[in-house]
Amino acid sequence: MVTLAECVPVPLRLPALKGMFEARKRVFVDLLKWDVPVLEDRYEVDQFDDEHATYLIVPDEDGGHAGSARLLPTLRPHILDTLFPDLCAAPPPRGHDMLEITRFCLGRDQCAADRLETRNMLVSGLVRYALENGVRTYTGVAEMGWLQQILAFGWRCRPLGLPRFIDGRMLGALRIDISEDTPSLLEANGIYRPAPLQRLEILEAA
Amino acid sequence: MQPFERAEFFLRDVSETNTESELADALSVVTRDLGFTYFALTHHVDIRRALQPAIRLHNYPADWVEYYDANSLGVSDPVHRASHMTSVGFAWSEIPRMIALTPRDHEILLRGEGQGIGDGFTVPANVPGESNGSCSFANPAGMPFSEDDLPLAQLVGGFAFEAARRLWRVRSPIIRPMQKLTDRQRECILWVARGKSDWEISRILGIQHETVVRHLKQARERYGVGKRTMLAVQALFEGSISFTDVLKR
Repeated sequence: MVTLAECVPVPLRLPALKGMFEARKRVFVDLLKWDVPVLEDRYEVDQFDDEHATYLIVPDEDGGHAGSARLLPTLRPHILDTLFPDLCAAPPPRGHDMLEITRFCLGRDQCAADRLETRNMLVSGLVRYALENGVRTYTGVAEMGWLQQILAFGWRCRPLGLPRFIDGRMLGALRIDISEDTPSLLEANGIYRPAPLQRLEILEAA
Repeated sequence: MQPFERAEFFLRDVSETNTESELADALSVVTRDLGFTYFALTHHVDIRRALQPAIRLHNYPADWVEYYDANSLGVSDPVHRASHMTSVGFAWSEIPRMIALTPRDHEILLRGEGQGIGDGFTVPANVPGESNGSCSFANPAGMPFSEDDLPLAQLVGGFAFEAARRLWRVRSPIIRPMQKLTDRQRECILWVARGKSDWEISRILGIQHETVVRHLKQARERYGVGKRTMLAVQALFEGSISFTDVLKR
């Protein structure tokens, strides 16, 4: 199962999302040394974590956080057009049917085999979300090693521009086009997991 | 043509390729456009002994390839070893700063140079759970390449490797995740990795000698390996035990 949280007024206040913000801090700040804001020395939260963000979360066996990703609408300010427009040869693509994948996060307390399985669940969840919600394209920024993995999932990827060194990391921008046959492309690489998306009740966040 | 347009052109080309020779043709054209003479897109395995189907496409001189394979350089090649240290493309002049080079490594690099493989740029392509790989572009010694084209080479190398994976995948079985080790098996393997005998492990864990033997036998069966060293290596590769676990006191 993959949990879906949409239209959460203040995401950090939602107890069900706290584990994700903590895991993001441990991955992006502690491990990958990204220069991003941290709240209370514990949560990685930025200006895009608001009611416009959509979250997909893969729970672990105890209902905690195993993996997560954040989707941002491309018609509003997002990572690619705000922080990395130079990674695109043309203006960053935007549209109602286009979302940006950001903060793809795999929790650190998993062995490599479990982490790959979490990754597969999350990638499959992203495809399922796109197909169920009329999303035809995902965009995203990735470091080179991760970008090579994204290509290896087997879905249709195209670069949006030449990679560049930015703050010591070589980054590239991609678009991923999703269609009815995307699940079978992932399946050919052995990574498709047809798990349902379970919408989170967000009444508690009011 | 603008560099990114060249990349898009190459990608359109390879998205329609269905054979290795078409991909090799597309690569040899883009290699020239990038200011290089040779390309080699390969998994880092001993090509004559590889168990799984391995990728290799290149236009290197035949004599060099002959020597390379005869000496199983696919595994020990300093360029390949350096590419395991990074996920970003690097010029070969950087290699001494990336890995410690042995006299044999220097000999290999010199011999390659004698065969026309003097300097180059290598794009690592490491996909978890698969053999490491890379796509290299090379020139004879003294024939410089332009730094400006290296981002394009990075992009081309990465997408070319994926195009090759797509062609090869058709021939390779999908590897399904293996059944998990039990906690006890994992614990025994950890002590194997630290060099303990079965009897020693039984003392350390306070269990019967035969029980340890059984745990390790079943663990070897899970990985399909016969030797305890391979068992430890497999468990490390898969991440069931980590280097930190093994090395911590």
